[in-house]
Amino acid sequence: MSENIYEKASRAILEHDEELALETIKIHLDGGAEPMALMNEGFIVGISKVGDLFGSGKLFLPELMMSADVMLVASQALNESMPEGQQSGYAHVHITAATVKGDIHDIGKGIGIALFRANGFTVHDLGRDVDTDAMIDNAVKNGSKIIATSALLTTTLGEQKKLEDHLKKAGLKGQIKTMVAGAPVTPRWASRIGADIYAENAHEGVSGVINAVREG
Amino acid sequence: MTTINTRMGDGSPLAMSEDELRRDIDDGISQAVENASVAPLNKEEIEYLVELFKRPDRIVGVEPGKEIVLTYDAATLKIKRHALFEDRVNALAMYERLLGADTLELCHIDYSYKTLKPIVSYEQATLEQALSVTHSPMFYGAMPNLGLYTQPDGPFPNPMELLPMGRIAEGRAAYDSMVDAAVEDICFISEIMWESGADGINFDTVGASGDPDFKASLLAAEKLKAKYPDIAIEMGMAGEFVLGMHGEMWHEGVRLAGLYPLDQLKLAEKAGVTIFGPVVNTNANESVPWNLARTIAIIKPCGERATIPIHANMGMGVGAVPVTDYPPVDVVSRASKAMVELCRLDGL
Repeated sequence: MSENIYEKASRAILEHDEELALETIKIHLDGGAEPMALMNEGFIVGISKVGDLFGSGKLFLPELMMSADVMLVASQALNESMPEGQQSGYAHVHITAATVKGDIHDIGKGIGIALFRANGFTVHDLGRDVDTDAMIDNAVKNGSKIIATSALLTTTLGEQKKLEDHLKKAGLKGQIKTMVAGAPVTPRWASRIGADIYAENAHEGVSGVINAVREG
Repeated sequence: MTTINTRMGDGSPLAMSEDELRRDIDDGISQAVENASVAPLNKEEIEYLVELFKRPDRIVGVEPGKEIVLTYDAATLKIKRHALFEDRVNALAMYERLLGADTLELCHIDYSYKTLKPIVSYEQATLEQALSVTHSPMFYGAMPNLGLYTQPDGPFPNPMELLPMGRIAEGRAAYDSMVDAAVEDICFISEIMWESGADGINFDTVGASGDPDFKASLLAAEKLKAKYPDIAIEMGMAGEFVLGMHGEMWHEGVRLAGLYPLDQLKLAEKAGVTIFGPVVNTNANESVPWNLARTIAIIKPCGERATIPIHANMGMGVGAVPVTDYPPVDVVSRASKAMVELCRLDGL
């Protein structure tokens, strides 16, 4: 059975083949099809598979980064093909990302950021062991709509709650949404502290932020 | 209908029906089969797990005669998490006399071989004191922790900055240099502590920085074994599979990235490791029965095929033990019993 255009787009991401990605976009657009259909049914499916394979140890960081690069190229090319005003890119959506205070683990955060950037978001990476107020200051300065935090330790989880408290105190809760991630983080924890988005992995993080942006 | 009281992987209470319990056990096994390419558990093993979780006992244990070695890594660090501010020598004596430890590990709060270099002479003196007040075999241990070798913490360019910029070859070259430096540091500390009287050296949390971390540990084990044929080396892993941070790092003709416990064990055996500690990570979003079934399916082949002792990692966040500061004894004892009785382990 021959490969359809969506499968081809997905394969372009999996095989980090930029040429194939651009060729697929050209064929799709020349046929007069809706640009975002190729993104949703092809490229996003591909990057999700990449995420799953990475999560199970069957694909490795350099390949993940190369796939993320191709995803970025594809997302920019599709965006440019759309008329001014209808562009659906996320470059205007700023995200402040950090590993919480007391925690130096940043592998997961690095992967999440790569995927956000690949999807066209503007990410301000504050690094690891970051003070809560520094995150809020950065978000205010850059107009970030989201503060995304990662905590790998049960002993540093509390910093995510501290962020919620400080945002409330500063009157920014709701204006700036929060996303929580990390091995000990669960949906139950996210709900208990009042975080807006829970992400089990990088791909879920991207979907969660896209939904939050759509909801306003 | 019987209600089975157990836990989620974050330690929160969970009540299940027997059907739900069976479904979670089956799902956990399927996930192990899919990810780690292991054989599923057989019918008897599944029934064993069902009965184990159905038991109303708060604490369970192995039958007399089936006891195994109980070992602790980084014990002197962990005791401080419980606000017991004992010095390290007393803490080790407490583990031996009060907590049933069969082996001990002296370690420093800066738990990485690299950071121990300037203070190793003080560690020698502490080891002497610890050996004089305890009887159990005493390891000296730390992490290879290759994360400390990249800028800003170390001399080499940071691959986490290079890789997103597409500078893959440079990132990989940085990892290669880090491996060489780490092997030197691991051997430097290990040789001094072994010659000072430690009964063994523990490489803890191997692979925490991915395949370069595992490579450095294998090379260091080989080098130490060549110099001291009698040296005991324990290798405890960081995660269930080796993260492919480099992706093209090989050892003995085997690509290290993505290796699951059985393949990790084979390389460790070849490198001269004396005791191997496989790990399966606990998923906080799944139940303990799901996690335990998955863990057993992955670890069991190690127990069956190892030529060296297997001391599986059973602690907060690994070995189906919940990811919470005070793992509840009901599930810790169930996980420990099942791991010992189904996986043919030599130690925990």
